[in-house]
Amino acid sequence: MVYAYAKEGKLKDGSRVVLRPMVAEDRERLIAFFQALPREQRLFLRHDVTDAEVIRSWTEQIDYSRVFPLLALAGDRVVGDATLHRIPRGWKRHIGTVRVVVAADYHKKGLGTLLVHEMVELATEFGLEKLWAELPLSAPAALAVFRKAGFSSKAVIEGLVKDLQGRSTDVVIMVCDVGAQYG
Amino acid sequence: MRVAVISDIHSNLEAFEAVLHDCAKEPVSTIINLGDLVGYNASPGECVDLARRHQMISLQGNHDRAAVRPRLAEGFNIFAHQAVLWSASALNPEQKAFLDGLPDTLLLWDRYLLFHGAPDNPEAYIFYLFQAKKAFTHMRKRMPRVQIAFFGHTHHRAVWQRDVRGRVQSLPIPRGLMALDPEEMYLINPGSVGQPRNRHWEASYLIFTTDPPAFEFRSVPYDLRSAQAKIREARLPDYLAERLATGV
Repeated sequence: MVYAYAKEGKLKDGSRVVLRPMVAEDRERLIAFFQALPREQRLFLRHDVTDAEVIRSWTEQIDYSRVFPLLALAGDRVVGDATLHRIPRGWKRHIGTVRVVVAADYHKKGLGTLLVHEMVELATEFGLEKLWAELPLSAPAALAVFRKAGFSSKAVIEGLVKDLQGRSTDVVIMVCDVGAQYG
Repeated sequence: MRVAVISDIHSNLEAFEAVLHDCAKEPVSTIINLGDLVGYNASPGECVDLARRHQMISLQGNHDRAAVRPRLAEGFNIFAHQAVLWSASALNPEQKAFLDGLPDTLLLWDRYLLFHGAPDNPEAYIFYLFQAKKAFTHMRKRMPRVQIAFFGHTHHRAVWQRDVRGRVQSLPIPRGLMALDPEEMYLINPGSVGQPRNRHWEASYLIFTTDPPAFEFRSVPYDLRSAQAKIREARLPDYLAERLATGV
């Protein structure tokens, strides 16, 4: 085992998951996780995660200083993947971007909330002041998860992105003021 | 009276010793530690022993509390969680008993309020204007004689002022000695000894003089490589060693 640290998280149904950073050895687990995602969920992901090469590039080029990937595991199975993306220099150096994907059978169990909260907590460790998230307007449950973690909607951009079928999708820009979460 | 105010030592023995050495150049009558002796870095027991030897006035921070009751660390992020569990395993019962007995708030000499996070909640932060306003309001209601408070927790130097008209503002970090107006109220954060987050690696603390009231921030270099090596030797997350060099 390459990873040296992990943490347990409790879900709404009382079950527990283990949170730990992604390591290169997670490639097969991640491929299985993304391939099991329902098609309609995959449509809104930035990359074609069914392509094993995409996953290979993620697991072989881990650079925690740019992207901190946190996995949620139930036993040996990946059930959630959260990433915190940072730009070390320039005028956005204090901003992190959060992306979260949760396995379909773990929806409505509080896993998304757990992962987004962990990202907000980690932001202070990385010296980030704001977090940024882009979510499809048509995903109210995901918007609610981010809102509960302290994000607020700042803009809706109509037809900003195209899903994997080429259809235009409205995107909500959400921002979290990290320091204000701990008053 | 000259007082050294330190905070958030976080098991960084090298930084802690360097600050104490710096304090000794112009002796102080009292050392105030605003909490979080342990957590994050790799010398928790040594830091507790050093604080006890110097008989400093110490508060309990959230990491100190969680090192005694690890269940409280469940809410910590994965880095802090791992480090506080490691601290808990490295402390002996006597060191834990010392941490467990510390207060989270203290009114010193009936004039100065000391707290770790916020006056009504040691876990809360004072980063933003609304948080500073809340802290001043609490002080005015509960301790109307207190004009000056010292706090930590954020690892950022800060000076908040509430003037006689009730306006609250964050003041620029002074480069030298800053005199405090006795008519106004202040919340002052000395920054962190063991894990500063103001983009500068040196240990941060301040010297406060009581009459007339004034203070000066201090930055102290320390053996960074030794502190980093201990973190790696303890197999704590590598990021905890990296960040010390950049002051994040």
